[in-house]
Amino acid sequence: MANARAVGTVFRSRKRLSFLKNAVVYVVIIGLAFIILIPFFWMLSTALQEKGDIFAWPPVWIPDPPQWHNFVDAWTAMPFHKYLYNTLFIVVLGMIAEMTSATLVAYGFARFRFPGSDIVFLVLLATMMLPFHVTLIPTYLIWQKLGLVGEFDPLVLRAWTAWGPFYIFLLRQFFLTIPRELDDAAEMDGANTFRTFFHVMLPQITPALLAVAIFGFRGYWNDFLGPLIYLTKMELYTMNVGMYFFMGGVNEAPQWNYLMAMSTLIALPVIVLFFVAQRYFIEGITFTGIKD
Amino acid sequence: MEHHLATLIRWLLVPVALFVVAALLYWVFRQLGWKRRQAMGVALVSPWIVGFVLFTAYPLFNSLYLSFTESSIFGKTKWVGLDNYIRLFTKDIEFWPSVRITILYALLSLPIGVIGALLVAMLLNRNIKGIGMYRTIYFLPAVLPEVAVALLWRWMFNSETGIINYALSPFFSLFGGGKPNWFGDPQFVLAAFIIMSVWGIFGTNTVVFLAGLQGVPRSLYEAAEIDGASAFRKFLHITVPQISPVILLQVIMGMIGALQIFTIAMFVRPTSAAGKFMNQLVYERGFTQLHMGEASAVAWVLFVIILALTLLVFRSTPFWVHYETDVRR
Repeated sequence: MANARAVGTVFRSRKRLSFLKNAVVYVVIIGLAFIILIPFFWMLSTALQEKGDIFAWPPVWIPDPPQWHNFVDAWTAMPFHKYLYNTLFIVVLGMIAEMTSATLVAYGFARFRFPGSDIVFLVLLATMMLPFHVTLIPTYLIWQKLGLVGEFDPLVLRAWTAWGPFYIFLLRQFFLTIPRELDDAAEMDGANTFRTFFHVMLPQITPALLAVAIFGFRGYWNDFLGPLIYLTKMELYTMNVGMYFFMGGVNEAPQWNYLMAMSTLIALPVIVLFFVAQRYFIEGITFTGIKD
Repeated sequence: MEHHLATLIRWLLVPVALFVVAALLYWVFRQLGWKRRQAMGVALVSPWIVGFVLFTAYPLFNSLYLSFTESSIFGKTKWVGLDNYIRLFTKDIEFWPSVRITILYALLSLPIGVIGALLVAMLLNRNIKGIGMYRTIYFLPAVLPEVAVALLWRWMFNSETGIINYALSPFFSLFGGGKPNWFGDPQFVLAAFIIMSVWGIFGTNTVVFLAGLQGVPRSLYEAAEIDGASAFRKFLHITVPQISPVILLQVIMGMIGALQIFTIAMFVRPTSAAGKFMNQLVYERGFTQLHMGEASAVAWVLFVIILALTLLVFRSTPFWVHYETDVRR
């Protein structure tokens, strides 16, 4: 009897301990979520405030009434509709070129061996660590010689050369998971390399292609340095470059409600995309451990 | 509109040219006696090789060359030897502060982002209701465009009416001292950037580590428990070695990313007194002051720093990174 009671106490105290542990876990998880979400909330809140609220102390958390017209005012303060069109132009051309070429190159690395192919692949991996800025100026000078600075070309033509070692790596790893018997069988049936590629391989790597598409969209949508140095004509600016000038000069006081409204609008497509396709997003990142 | 159309036409011609190159390579290697599949492999990866030669290998060496030259607006380059470097190292008042802030930023933000995220991931590595929802939230900062991140934090760190100074105001009244001018004061600018960076990277790292932790075999922990190992010893001798390859990848990519900070700094716009990051110097020297030589020199110094730190991390791997293959050997 006494024994059983002792066992019961131990059991109960263990239970209490694990309850305490769980409580700590939940506090940390929820606290972290809050820390991450507060800035988002503050961005939206400021976007809906009127000028007077912005400099209020203590800060106004929930604007009353919300100034929805801030979005329209900010959007029309600069020709952002043009900038959006330019951005989408770059995004679409860049993504198509990047995905097509990266898939073919990855297929080459995954399924075909040639003398030196291992070394070439190692070099490709090494370029992942190469800082972008070290090649920036000579690349600029190349486009300058071609007379294409000020056009969209420097931002979209390069994508055809499978620009982005990360995408090649991701796709190659996916190709490697496809059983070899599949392509062997296709070739036995007399399919050539391209038929095998389109009818056997491509359908198998759809998840990886989607991941690349998402990263590609985000990459082009978020790019700032490229458009900043190459797009010199006002009417060719992208959203991000437009934002840079919308922010105003060094000595001007920024209009924070407008800036937050525009930040919200710029963030929106990527956030929506993330919610729709988060599985591929997270898989892509955890698969390779790389963010950008 | 005509700009778009012209680009579109050139954009359509590039793959045609690349296809011709690939076909040519295939033919040449077949003539050299390679097997069909070998030549096909070369042809398939040739677009990347073309891009690598044109946009990586050549620019890399060209920028090293440029860093020993001085170029005028008319495109004439003049060899000046080590002048650019000497001027940077001895006369330029912006150079050393930017090296300092860039390295400190990377070295301080990284451990917080990696170690902190690892601890949280361990906490999350159990059955939790609604874990999917939290994972989504943790990931949000990583998808946000840097432009939005930078503007948002610049607003939150605003010295007059920002919510961070508002939240900290009880401390100011307690310990005295005015509201910090985060991006205008060399004393605070680093802290502000580190807070921003940790906010951005923490969630992603947590999710990546979580995926790594779920790959650690349960049996290892069970065996250790039978031997009576404490939680700390299990962490040190099982968890860390098992996921050390993941940690290594996060450390390397995080460090390279942090040393290259640019967009955020351009939008946050810290004052000159507070300090500029090295990539900002590259941009300013090259594209606003048109000193391509000097800009290339700054870029190469940064490149050497990145290379040195990366090698240092790789050198340290035998001491802490554990690969499955090591066991079999």
